[in-house]
Amino acid sequence: MATLSIRDVRKSYGSVQVLHGVDIELEDGGFLVLLGPSGCGKSTLLNIIAGLDDTSGGDILIGGRSVLDLAPKDRNIAMVFQSYALYPTMSVARNIGFGLEMRGVGADQRKRAVEDAARMLQISHLLDRRPANLSGGQRQRVAMGRAIVRDPELFLFDEPLSNLDAKLRVEMRTEIKRLHERLGTSIVYVTHDQIEAMTLGTKVAVMKGGYIQQLDDPRTIYERPANMFVASFIGSPAMNFLAGRLVPDSEGVQFQASGVSIVLPTRNRPVDSERPVVLGIRPEELRTVPRNRASIMGEIDVVEPTGPETMVTVQVGEHAIIARLPPRFAGRRKEPICLAVDPASVNLFDPDSGRRIDI
Amino acid sequence: MIESKRQRRMIANIATYIVLASLTVFCIGPMIWMFLTSLKYEADIVTQTMQYLPSRVTFDNYVAIWTQSGFPRLIGNSLVVTFLTVTVCVVTGTLAAYAFSRFAFRGRDQLMLGYLVVRMFPAVMMIIPLYVVMRGVGLVDSRFGLALAYTSFLLPLFVWMLKGFFDSAPKELESAARIDGSTRLGAMVRIVMPLARNGLVASSVFIAIAAWNEFLFALMLTTGQGSRTWPVGLQLMVGEFQLPWGVLAAGGILSIIPVIVLFAIVQRTMVQGLTAGAIKG
Ligand SMILES: Nc1ncnc2c1ncn2[C@@H]1O[C@H](COP(=O)(O)OP(=O)(O)OP(=O)(O)O)[C@@H](O)[C@H]1O
Ligand SMILES: [Mg+2]
Repeated sequence: MATLSIRDVRKSYGSVQVLHGVDIELEDGGFLVLLGPSGCGKSTLLNIIAGLDDTSGGDILIGGRSVLDLAPKDRNIAMVFQSYALYPTMSVARNIGFGLEMRGVGADQRKRAVEDAARMLQISHLLDRRPANLSGGQRQRVAMGRAIVRDPELFLFDEPLSNLDAKLRVEMRTEIKRLHERLGTSIVYVTHDQIEAMTLGTKVAVMKGGYIQQLDDPRTIYERPANMFVASFIGSPAMNFLAGRLVPDSEGVQFQASGVSIVLPTRNRPVDSERPVVLGIRPEELRTVPRNRASIMGEIDVVEPTGPETMVTVQVGEHAIIARLPPRFAGRRKEPICLAVDPASVNLFDPDSGRRIDI
Repeated sequence: MIESKRQRRMIANIATYIVLASLTVFCIGPMIWMFLTSLKYEADIVTQTMQYLPSRVTFDNYVAIWTQSGFPRLIGNSLVVTFLTVTVCVVTGTLAAYAFSRFAFRGRDQLMLGYLVVRMFPAVMMIIPLYVVMRGVGLVDSRFGLALAYTSFLLPLFVWMLKGFFDSAPKELESAARIDGSTRLGAMVRIVMPLARNGLVASSVFIAIAAWNEFLFALMLTTGQGSRTWPVGLQLMVGEFQLPWGVLAAGGILSIIPVIVLFAIVQRTMVQGLTAGAIKG
């Protein structure tokens, strides 16, 4: 049974439509990440799930029951906010226990629940403090404590890590993953950080302009993006795009652009005539090869060793592409470079619509 | 170079102090004068040569105003009217300000603007229609009626001030409370009000002082001893006695005591409320 079903949810503010018919199903215990650039409607969707905002159409089901008529407090959800939204006038303990207090849970039982949650998040020593006297990471933990203590059916996270510094962010990301595995409660998680999406999600919804661009597991999103937007949004450095054409070939079909010629296996139908396409290659799929086996010829432009790998910017015809090469790469600027790519790992897109083409 | 810079700063400082000091004297002077006058014997007040500090000190004026006129009654009426005004403003104004701050309903901006426009007209323009209305509903010469009249021009001020404080309380806090199990009203009372407390105190004190000192409406809308407030009562004494300066001064001093006491109690909260405005999460 699905914990959460979002059915054709639409939202308009006046004449501006910010969500255009969103459909998502989240399985029990799943981790759904809403990923997209700023202003794409992620928070709006999350607030609608929480009941903080009304829909302009569609339906939301939590645990198989439509919740549109329920107040936020009756939806059996817990939410962690970007700003943490800790109650400044209350102690940490009361902050965590506030949800239970509101639900009329007795003081003893409440105290025990708060202590359990605090132990799980390693904030037991902070229970008497005020939120103002906590560090960012500690506030984040308190906010999570407030959510888990209620044992809801669904957690909602709105960019919970975006106010933390880089190191803490990685730490808390692991913590959230551990928490999810331990509690097994379904989570909807909003972020514009693709690493968070890849590492945490069992399902990722990539959004743009109020539309779901792709809804899939992270692997599929990464390896078989539905369109050029998804392809470029996920992955860092971003996927390389090469504009060229598909030409029929004895072995299947060939992609051609200046300095590039790659034979691609065709799975379904053979391509009968030439057509313009955009080829997408992940930087890590590129490797250096001897000249006679090269499918991409170019000239080295910039070499950036990062430690575990070397980022090499290569000028190929009019395109600049980035290759992620081994740490001890020896080439230098202006030298020619020969690259190859596994044909199975490339993606083809329609240059006009940007949509994925499967051949 | 450095020397001259320091000198210039020094001169600027001195100039600042001179300006501030003269302003202070200008503002506080009359009050001190009133206080000194209230301690003088009648004979020492109107004299040939100006007597600045009283040569003899007496509290007779205070005794006189408290026992020989309706002054306690006036103070009592003022207290009641002020209390009623503040209560009505706080109860209705808080809800209104919260609604203005949180809900985007049709006509909200126009309504807020309307509140301001009310403040732009001079009080004399409002007083006649208000009098007619009050007479129509039989509230002329009643303390409640006077409080309502005060509310009519103090409530908009109160709502505007408080809306600012509510605006600066993060919305996410209420969202969190609503998910945690509060209703909207519950979230407002439990979460937002404690945060806006300084603002609420500041705005209420503002209202209280305005109602306490108000003269024009009180003059028009009260006629008898039963509802007359101290500013009007004090003014009317000018005719009743033959310009009893000492007694009037004593009355003045007595009537600003509540204001001073109130201020002393809430001073810190109020200054925080007025200057900070923002609420840190
Ligand atoms: N109350 C509102 N009135 C009008 N437009 C709004 C309102 N709230 C949000 N919007 C618009 O809806 C769109 C989506 O907003 P939303 O907050 O959901 O974006 P987001 O994806 O969460 O972005 P971010 O990553 O910056 O938080 C934005 O274009 C925003 O301007
Ligand atoms: Mg957002």
